[in-house]
Formats: sequence, C-alpha cells, structure tokens
Amino acid sequence: MKIFDYDWSLIWDYRGVLLGGLWVAVQVSVVALVISAVIGLLLAVLRLSRPPISWIATAYINVFRGVPALVSVVWVYFGLAFLLGINFSVFQAGVIALSLLYSAFLAEIFRSALGAVPPGHREAGQALGLRGSRIFFSVILPQAVKVALPNIGSMYIGMLKDTSTFTIIGLLEVVRVTQNLVSTTFQPFVFYTAAALIYVLAAFVIDMIFRFIESAYTRPPHGRLLAAVRRRQRRKISELVEEMGG
Amino acid sequence: MSAAAVGTHAVADTDRAVLIRIRGLRKSFGTQEVLCGIDLDICAGEHVVIVGPSGSGKSTLLRSINLLEKPTAGSLRVNGVEYGPGLPGEPPQRRGSPLALRRTVGMVFQQFNLFPHLTALGNVALSLRSVRNMKASEARVKAAESLRSVGLLQRAAYYPAELSGGQQQRVAIARALALDPSVMLFDEPTSALDPELVGEVLRTMRQVAESGMTMVVVTHEMGFARDVGDLNVFMEDGAIVETGARGFFDNPTSARAKEFIRAVRR
Ligand SMILES: Nc1ncnc2c1ncn2[C@@H]1O[C@H](COP(=O)(O)OP(=O)(O)OP(=O)(O)O)[C@@H](O)[C@H]1O
Ligand SMILES: [Mg+2]
Repeated sequence: MKIFDYDWSLIWDYRGVLLGGLWVAVQVSVVALVISAVIGLLLAVLRLSRPPISWIATAYINVFRGVPALVSVVWVYFGLAFLLGINFSVFQAGVIALSLLYSAFLAEIFRSALGAVPPGHREAGQALGLRGSRIFFSVILPQAVKVALPNIGSMYIGMLKDTSTFTIIGLLEVVRVTQNLVSTTFQPFVFYTAAALIYVLAAFVIDMIFRFIESAYTRPPHGRLLAAVRRRQRRKISELVEEMGG
Repeated sequence: MSAAAVGTHAVADTDRAVLIRIRGLRKSFGTQEVLCGIDLDICAGEHVVIVGPSGSGKSTLLRSINLLEKPTAGSLRVNGVEYGPGLPGEPPQRRGSPLALRRTVGMVFQQFNLFPHLTALGNVALSLRSVRNMKASEARVKAAESLRSVGLLQRAAYYPAELSGGQQQRVAIARALALDPSVMLFDEPTSALDPELVGEVLRTMRQVAESGMTMVVVTHEMGFARDVGDLNVFMEDGAIVETGARGFFDNPTSARAKEFIRAVRR
C-alpha cells in the first residue's frame, strides 16, 4: 500500500466518533484527577505527620506508584468487584483505577510543594494566633498549589494517556473507538495516526490550560485577562482608601 | 524605669504593672541548652532592647515569649496567666493556651514573612477575619486603618512582590498591630534590609513606641536602642549578663558588654 492508498478523509468522516472517545477519556481522567487531588493532599499531610501515621501514607504511595494502570483497572473491574460483590460500570472502574494510582503521585507532588513553602510563613501565621487549619488552608496550601501546578499538569497528561489501557474493559475511549473503526474500515494506519494526533493535541491543550491556571495563581497576576481582574480588585481597594480619606 | 539600674537584675521592683514575667526560663535543643535560666520582667508600656552576640539566644528568648519555642522549664506569665511549664513551688492559678497567648502578642520577623499570595490589605485582614471573627467588610476597614498607621494605605492593593523590603516590613508591622496586641516582639526587623530602607522601618517602630506599645526588640541598631530602650538587656551564652536603664549603651559595666558594644558601634 502506498501513502495515497490511505483514505485520510475517513478521519474527518469519523471525527465525531474519535472526539467522542476523547470526551470519555477526559471525563474519566478529570473525575479521577479531582478525587486524586483530595486523597493525594490527605496522603501528603499524613506523610508529613509523625511516624506511625506517616508509614501508612508511605506504604500506600510506594505500592500504588508502582502499579501499571492496566493492572489496576483489571484488578478493580474484575478482582475488586468480585471481592466486594459490586458491579462497577466501566466508567466507575476507570475512575477508581486511576484515582488509586494518581493519588499516590499527587501525594508526592503535594508533599514537595508543601515543603517548598518557607517555614517562616507558618510561623507568621502562628504568631498571629491563627489556628493550624486556617494556616494550612489560607497560608500554606495556596502557595503549595502554585508550586505543584506545573507538575500536576504534566502528570495529568500521563493520566489522560493511561485511559487508553482501559480499552481492555471496553471503555469507549480513544483507543477503543479507534479499534472499532479499524475493524470496520481496515485502515489501522490512518486511525492510529488520528488517535496519536488526538493525544498530542490534547496534551498541548492541557498544557495551555495549566499554564493559564498557573498564571492565575501568580501574584500579581500575569496576562491580559487576569490584569483586568486585577484592576477590578484594585479599584475596590482604592475605593476603600478614598472612603477613608487617603 | 528607674528600678533596673545599671548592673542590676532584670527583675522589676517598681509599682508599674508587670505585663510579662519570666522566671528561670530554660530552653534546650537536644542536649544543647540555649537559654539557661532567664529572669526578666517587662512592664506595660516599657520598651525592652535585647542585644548580644550571634547565637546568644536572643531569638530563642523572643520566640519563647509567644511560644514559637516551647520552654523546657521555667515560668512565662503574661497578664498573670501562666504559659510555661511553671516553677516548682508555684502552681499557677490560671494556665493559658498558645493560641490565646499569641492573640495578645504581636511579632515582627527579620524576613517579614508576608503571605505572598495576598495583597498588603489581605495580609492584614486575614487574621482580623479569623482571629477576631470580623466580617470581610469590617476587616478591610480595620486593615486599611492599620496600613494607614504605618503610612502604607496607598499600597493596600499591592502584593508583597511589588513592595520594597522596607514597605514589606511596615506591612508586617501593620499586620501585627491590627490585632491590638498588648506587646510587640521584633526580631532584628531591619537586618534583612538594604541600608537605605532601614530608616523608614525604624521610624515606624519609633511611632509604635511613642504610641505607648510595650515592645521587646532584638536589634543591632544602636541609635534606635539608645533612644527607645527603657530597659536594655545584654545576653551571652543563653543568659542575661547585664541589664540597664536608658544610657546603658554608653556605660556598660561588664567587660563582655563593653567589648560587644564597642564592636557593633564600629
Ligand atoms: N530550632 C533549633 N534547633 C537547634 N538549635 C537551635 C534552633 N534554634 C536555635 N538553635 C541554636 O540556639 C542557639 C541560639 O540561637 P538564637 O537564634 O536564639 O541566637 P541569636 O542570639 O538570635 O543569634 P543571631 O544574632 O545570630 O540571630 C544557637 O546556637 C542556635 O544554633
Ligand atoms: Mg536571632
């Protein structure tokens, strides 16, 4: 087969199906990202606590960081379901499988990000009489999230790609719909190229989104849109200042 | 503060209300004893200046006063409430929590420690909201008033990264003052500043002193110490070597204090 034997127009014809696969992958990975962020943050805090507690977190992190997504999802979909007698949908199984793994990665990302916040800020909060929880959520966490964002971004790209292994349980993500299209059109090269392009493009967009979020977290905010937000905020404060007579 | 004449112990025998009473205060890090039994009385409205060589325990003493360092032994009483382990033969009637203590003791750090993700106003308002339970609007007004008192109302909307070191330190002072503390602690507040920015911070601190605020200041700024210090404390190796009233720095008695003051003046 020469290159012109490939029917590239098929990609356009089946764009809806392909993008549908991406949409499923995005849904599974975003839900898993949110869950992983919560569990990961909790694990990071546990890991930074005193020994008996920190060991639990360390054990979890070291186990689940090493499990491949494919194994995880098979284990959840077939093993855990059998063990607990619950029938997870493929979507649920995918979310759980990803959350188990990526909460371990996020725990590590959060741990180093929390460690990057200067200890003086915690002390300043303590000296002001703020409670520990308030210091954590209002002083430490906002700064740690800013530090963690670039790492979360690249981790999320990996997460999205890992959904491709869920083709094994029949989740209709990018690879699964590609396989389905190949089996009816007999154009594997065309559709796998399309699949690759979709992942590359998705990674590019994800990177842009995370860059934007990161710049939103920068103080003072960067970028035109954020500068506008900033101006509003400043106006509110200057109104207050004027009210008080300069 | 006539009681603490040159060379006497730092225990007040005046009628003035003792705000902070420190007795036999000890602090160890592991096996190293950093404070070896500190006795010090600080009266309401008094301005205490602590000097001493590096590593003598000045910061540790200051940080013990708001329990950022937990004393190993001894008594720390603020307004009659015990916050330390206490003295053997002296069971306290009232014992306070670190949180309660810190809400009456303001602290200013060498490194400013402003929260970089909040504006100057936000930095001041945060603790007003969560410590004083003020409404957002109420906290903003009070925070703005506090910023005005350090001459930075016009910088209210700026983030720490947009302020000079001197301005940041003044915001830090405003942040602590906003909570109406009964005493302010300053740990080398000008040491991290470029020389040309030291003046504005010292001016602000002089204003705070003139307002009648009780202050405990660790500093190497001899001019400030001489003008503001009612009670001057020279520390070395975790102990108070010598204390003196105003004029102490021109006329210390102990050889070590003489030597030290000659050295920092140069
Ligand atoms: N968290 C800590 N752990 C162990 N040792 C400490 C700790 N903090 C202080 N030290 C030690 O205690 C001693 C006194 O330190 P401190 O910071 O109180 O001195 P200082 O008089 O403030 O000195 P400087 O003028 O350099 O600030 C030093 O020997 C220091 O190494
Ligand atoms: Mg010090």
